[in-house]
Formats: sequence, structure tokens, C-alpha cells
Amino acid sequence: MISNIIPGLLMILTSFLLPTIPQYFRQPAMLLSVGLSALSLFNGYGTFLEWDVLGLNLILYQSDSLTFPFSIIFHIAAVLVIIFSWHSKNLMEHMATIAYAGSAIGALHAGDFFSLFIWWEATALTSVFIVFAGNTKAARDAAMRYLIIQVSSGVMLLIGACLLLYQTGNHNLTVLDLTTDFGIFIFIAFGIKAAFPFLNGWLQDSYPESSVTGTVALSAFTTKLAIYALARTFPGTDSLIWIGAIMTAFPVFFAVIENDLRRVLSFSLNNQLGFMVVGIGIGTELSLNGTVAHAFVHIIYKALLFMSMGAVLYRAGTTKASELGGLYKYMPFTTIFCIIGAMSISAFPLFSGFVAKSLIMSSLGGMGMVLIYFVLFFASAGVLEHSGIKIPYFAFFAHERKSKVKEAPINMLIAMGIAAFLCIGIGVFPKYLYQILPYTVEYQPYTIDHVISQLQLLVFAIIAFLFLVKFKLYPSEIKSTVLNSDWFYRKMLPGIGKPLFKKIGLLTEFIYENLRFFFRLILNKSHKFSNSSYIKVTTPSFAATILISILFIMLLIVLL
Amino acid sequence: MKKNNLTSMGKSFTKYILIIGVLLILLDFTFHRHEYFSFAEIYGFPAFFGFVSFVFIVLLGKWLRKFLMRKEDYYDQ
Repeated sequence: MISNIIPGLLMILTSFLLPTIPQYFRQPAMLLSVGLSALSLFNGYGTFLEWDVLGLNLILYQSDSLTFPFSIIFHIAAVLVIIFSWHSKNLMEHMATIAYAGSAIGALHAGDFFSLFIWWEATALTSVFIVFAGNTKAARDAAMRYLIIQVSSGVMLLIGACLLLYQTGNHNLTVLDLTTDFGIFIFIAFGIKAAFPFLNGWLQDSYPESSVTGTVALSAFTTKLAIYALARTFPGTDSLIWIGAIMTAFPVFFAVIENDLRRVLSFSLNNQLGFMVVGIGIGTELSLNGTVAHAFVHIIYKALLFMSMGAVLYRAGTTKASELGGLYKYMPFTTIFCIIGAMSISAFPLFSGFVAKSLIMSSLGGMGMVLIYFVLFFASAGVLEHSGIKIPYFAFFAHERKSKVKEAPINMLIAMGIAAFLCIGIGVFPKYLYQILPYTVEYQPYTIDHVISQLQLLVFAIIAFLFLVKFKLYPSEIKSTVLNSDWFYRKMLPGIGKPLFKKIGLLTEFIYENLRFFFRLILNKSHKFSNSSYIKVTTPSFAATILISILFIMLLIVLL
Repeated sequence: MKKNNLTSMGKSFTKYILIIGVLLILLDFTFHRHEYFSFAEIYGFPAFFGFVSFVFIVLLGKWLRKFLMRKEDYYDQ
């Protein structure tokens, strides 16, 4: 029986039941629902549930070698988030989180574009409550912008799906290309959620505004769902290589100057998505394996980094680099876990990032794409800069701290501990990760050439950091806002739109005033006319005069 | 003593990282490092690339502040 239930659906049902469950049983209930949903992982591959509705055959539950690794990691991420937020009493956030994770897992198993659309919107509608739960004015404003962008992505997807069905008679998830109009709509829909260049503003806008625990949940699902969807429908699309390369390189510069460390991590998340997008663009078995592996390990170490910054926010009350520093003394475990996350994302050998990124780099190298290869190599130094050094350095070191803070609560430490364990475990034993990848490819990440090359890059980038700090060339942290692509709709459009609408408003008011004057004139005249004494006998009543004049105006309009 | 904790940590970290750096460069001379592109096989190429990239990223980022940086309450105005 359980094999026919859509994975994730039980988690959504649990979300609805959550208010009826006593406080202390909520987290266990959520964990139980994730566990039951995870049983679907043992079902094997195939189509398990279809539904004929309105003449459409919806494939609600299917699984194959591509959904499998994503489904595993989404379940793991859900568990991490639940443990990390164990202390929290925010019911709305818990409900949103478990429903959001469930929707994302459900989306993975959709077999057609319409089912995908339903889940796609479900992830948007559930996750917006997580942003809301940040419970500040900034968070509420960001949530509204987030909702608009996410729903537009869904609308794009729906338009694409309808066009696809109309033009081809098929609506199943298949490989598409960019020569068709539906292909372009669906590509943009996925591109918004995958935070393509200039479509990325929502990510850095909303994630850092969420609560201590909310950002961890957000970081795992939406963007990786988009990566999954791109890998399924657009593998081998050349333009993705360039889009991905731009995504790896550009956020790096923004991350250097951003002051809010959770926003730095959001830029870093964007940069990591770039690596995955490049892998999809290459489209070989090795590179697609690389994308999936990278998404898998990325969810863990990015969650770990967001958790460590969440713990800092929880205890120190801010994640602004300009106000932090010296926390290593008070939060030693968080410091260690953060450094493990930082080393994983920077792809140090024996950490998870290394064994995943290598697959993408090797497929680029094997194809002889020298320029893209070095853009990504360059971006790797950038990753080290913002996530490897900046995050741990400014939060935990930089300078001594005057006021004391407590170490993170035990549940947070457990969640971070599990994530850190997985980061190192996968880094040391990559074969377990490689076994669950979509294609069977023999690959050995730990060759002497590769290890030395990567170590040289990283160690000398660290030396560059020390050099810049020593000679006071490293930019100090300044309280500031860094402009990003959300500027276009937060400043530029209102900047143009507000005066424009004001002018239009004035114009309509002017027209309205004149019309009113005109009608009053007719009214008065007809009143006078109907009341005049000498033609009283033959003239119709006041109402009839108005009627006649209206008919006369209509006649004029028709004739014109 | 306590006051100098971070400075001494920083100093020893710098020392060790420099030693590792030198060792990594020396290792390059002991074997032929195979790369996908022949120019990357030059001694210490990844080290040089890493150093230059890092400096470039930081300095360009710093310069970009001129165009991208606004006050903290920029969007609230």
C-alpha cells in the first residue's frame, strides 16, 4: 500500500496535523513522516501512480536513476532541518518546513509537466511562509517579492506545459531544446528557480531575511529542484555551459563585499549552482553524474554552513561581519563544524566538495573546454575566498570578542555534527556516493596529479589572503547594502513606474473632471428644458430627456 | 597572554601554511603532474593561478564597491 503513496505526501499531511499534536511530539512526528516517506526509496524504479483527469494522464509518482539520489538527499536535508529546529516553538515555520520538504520530494517524482507544475507551485507557496516566519518587516517584504517571483516561475512553467501539450499532444517530462517556444518558457521557469544570472535577485533577497532555522530549509530544496528539472529536460544544452560559467564567476565579487554573512552564503549558493548548471550543459554521463554528485554534497555542506551561521545568529543576534568576530572561544564546536563545511565547499581533498567537483572539472577537461575549465578553476579560488575563508574568519576569528555568548543548543550541534560527519565521510569514501549516481562511470578522484593541483590552488589562495591582510589590502567589512539584480524591480521599476503612474493618475483625473463638468451641463440644460413653462405640455419628463440624450450619444458613437 | 591568543594563532597558522605551500611547490619537481592542458603542467601553475585569482577577486570586488555599495537602509528610503 505504502508503495503507491507519493513520496513527500505524508509529510504534507503531517504538516496539516501538526497543530493538533502537542508541542513535544511535533518534531518526532515530523521525523516519523520523513522516515515513512523515505521508505519509497526502497521501491526501485518505475511508474507507481497515474491519474486520468480531464482527459489528461498525470504521472504522479515515478522514480528512476535521476530521481533516486535527489530523493535521498532531500530526505536527509529534511531530517537535518528538523533536528536543527528542534528547540523552536514556531508552529507556522514547522508546518511550512515539513510541507515544503514534502512538496519538493513530491516534485521529484512527478512524471509530467502538469504534475510538476502543481508541486512547483506547492514549493513556492509553502516556502514563502518560511520567509514570512523571519517575522521582521524586512522578512515580510522580502516574502512578498519572493512569492511574486516564484509564482511567475510557476506561470511560465504552466504556459510552457500548455503549449507543449497543444503543439505535440504530449505532456510527459522529456528532453526539450530551445528551438521551440514551449522549450523557452519552461527553460525560463527553471532558470528563475535555478537563479540564472539576472534572475537570481530573489535568492539573495529572501534567504538571509528568514529565521535562524528557516534559511537552512530554504537553502536545500528550491534551487536543487530546479537543477534536477534542468538535468531532466535540458541535458546537453550548450547555452547552459555559458550560463553556468557566469553563475560561478560573478557572485564571487558580490560575496567579497557583502557584509551579512548569510547573504554571502546566498551568493555562494548561487556560485555553486553554476557548477551544476555547467555539468548539465556539457550533458555527458560523467558531467551529469558530476552535477548530481555536486547537488548531493552541496545540500549537506551548504546546510552545514547555514546552520553554523544560524547558530551564530541565534546566540550573537547578528550575522553581520562588521559586528562579529572572536566567537571561536565561546562557540568552539560551531567553529569546528563551520570550518568543516568551509573546507568541504572549498573542495579540499578528503572533503565532500572535492569528490563531486572533480567529476565536472574532469568532464570539462576531457572535452578540451579550456576557457570554461579555467573560469571554474578561477571560481574555485572564489569559493575559497567567500565561503572557505570569509565566513569562518569574520564570524569566529578576526578579532577578540568582548561580550560572552553561549555555545549553540545541543540540537543544533547534533544537526551540524551529522552534516559534518557526512561531509568528511563522503570525502573519504566517495564510492558510496558514486554508487547512487544516475550513470555507472568508473572514476577515481584521488589521483596524485589532481590532489596536488587542487592543494596548490587552495593553499596559495590562502597565502594570498594572508598576504592581503598583512598589507592591509583586504577590504574591511562595512555596514552596507550591495546592489544585486533585485535592484531592477526594487528600485529601477518603482523609480520609473511611480512617477509614470502619478502622471497617468493626474491625466485620468483631468479627463474625469471634464467629463463630469460636461455631464452636469447636459443635466442642467435638460432640467431647465423639461421645467420650462411654455413647452411644458408637449415635452417629455426629465427622465425621458436624459434617456433621449443618452440614446443620441450612443447613436453618434455607433455612426462614428 | 589571553590578549595575544588570536595573533599567535594567526602567526602559527601563517607559518604552517607557508611551509605546506613550499612543500607543494617542491613536490611539483619530484614528479610530472598530468593536467588536461599542457600549459597547466608548468611548475607551480595551480599555485600561481590560485594566488593571482584570489588577489584579483578581492581587489576587483573592492573596486566594485564604488558602483555596487549603498547605505544599509538603501531600500527603506
